[in-house]
Amino acid sequence: MKRLLINRCGLGISALTLALFVLVPVVRAEDAVTVNISIKDHRFQPAELHAPAGKPIVIVVKNLDPAPAEFESNMLRVEKVVTGGGTISLRIRPLDPGRYRFFDDFHQETQGYLVVQ
Amino acid sequence: MRIGHARAYLLAALCFVATGFAAHAQSSQPAGNTTPQSVADVFHEAESKYMFGFIDGADIGNEGEKAIEYEATGSFQKRGGRYSAIEHELEFEHVLTQNFAYELSAHGIQHSISGVEGLDDRNSAQFSGASAKLRYLIIGRGPGSPIGLTVSAEPEWSRIDGTDGTQVQAYASEFRIVADTELITNRLYAALNLIYEPEVAKPADTGMWERSSSVGLGAGLTYRITPTFAMGVAAEYDRAYDGLRLQTFNGHALFVGPTLQINFTGKVLLAAAFMAQVAGHAVDDPRPLDLTNFEQYRANLKLEFEF
Repeated sequence: MKRLLINRCGLGISALTLALFVLVPVVRAEDAVTVNISIKDHRFQPAELHAPAGKPIVIVVKNLDPAPAEFESNMLRVEKVVTGGGTISLRIRPLDPGRYRFFDDFHQETQGYLVVQ
Repeated sequence: MRIGHARAYLLAALCFVATGFAAHAQSSQPAGNTTPQSVADVFHEAESKYMFGFIDGADIGNEGEKAIEYEATGSFQKRGGRYSAIEHELEFEHVLTQNFAYELSAHGIQHSISGVEGLDDRNSAQFSGASAKLRYLIIGRGPGSPIGLTVSAEPEWSRIDGTDGTQVQAYASEFRIVADTELITNRLYAALNLIYEPEVAKPADTGMWERSSSVGLGAGLTYRITPTFAMGVAAEYDRAYDGLRLQTFNGHALFVGPTLQINFTGKVLLAAAFMAQVAGHAVDDPRPLDLTNFEQYRANLKLEFEF
């Protein structure tokens, strides 16, 4: 009986661990703001994007170069490879006002900013 | 020279070698652009997750990031004789969303024990278990908040006792509340961890279930010397108990030591840490330090390959 209780205790610890992460807050469905950006000659065009604060944002990245790029931002907390000539879209959570740097992880001198106001 | 000391010196030597590599990597940057750059142009935002050694940073990585990681954690020196236990982990890490990441790990452990008070001599290397680590970022550091806040849970199954190397059936989970901040933007970082780890274990020799738990408070301070090289210091205070709810106090220990992180490239990272027990006490043992519930030295090495 005691063994059964302790086994249950072990299971309880695991269940608690999982429950912590399953009970993720439900995100409200809101209309996202879409902003577009291109990569050409290893430069972001435009180098500065603008978006409103407090709304989800979709960034559409079109790579006009033949070489692949990786759109990455530690501040936006996203990274995704975009093949040469390809297009990707990234959904960003609602943001506070500020300047958020992003870059191409394959060519780190290629960088731009998302300005949230 | 005791083997514990030898390994500690080996780790220190590794740190110096790695430092040399980092310095070389820094000095061999292409000099194509000779325009002087400001500090703000050179030091961009960095991920804090592994900056503080045994202390976690609040960052969890970027959505879509996947990595393979090798991690070694060593415990060295108990009361008398020579003692080392080195756990090797091979981990797969995936950042699933902008707020949630998980790791899956397989563990192996090596023990080398000789003449240690209260432990049988042993030389062994065994597959020891598996674990998962779940991280949920509650507050991201950035324009909206100077503080990052993350909670994590690391459930683990073990078939080998981490201290003495004997067979066991054990289930544990480490829970952490992690906060960090930038005291100087993109240069000086500080972190604080609250740790609670309950465990139930059934040693093969007794066949009896045992319950224990520990709590800890950790703090770390790390300075980025160059954009790819950071060093710091960390401290952790741990208390060990019988019972899942901290019922019977067994001992406590304070560890302090240096930390190191090198980003060889944007995709390859090395982090190392060393800690020595500088104060502690085990219940019913008048001698200084708690070498019954804790080790005298601990070291950690992480090598991450992102893909």
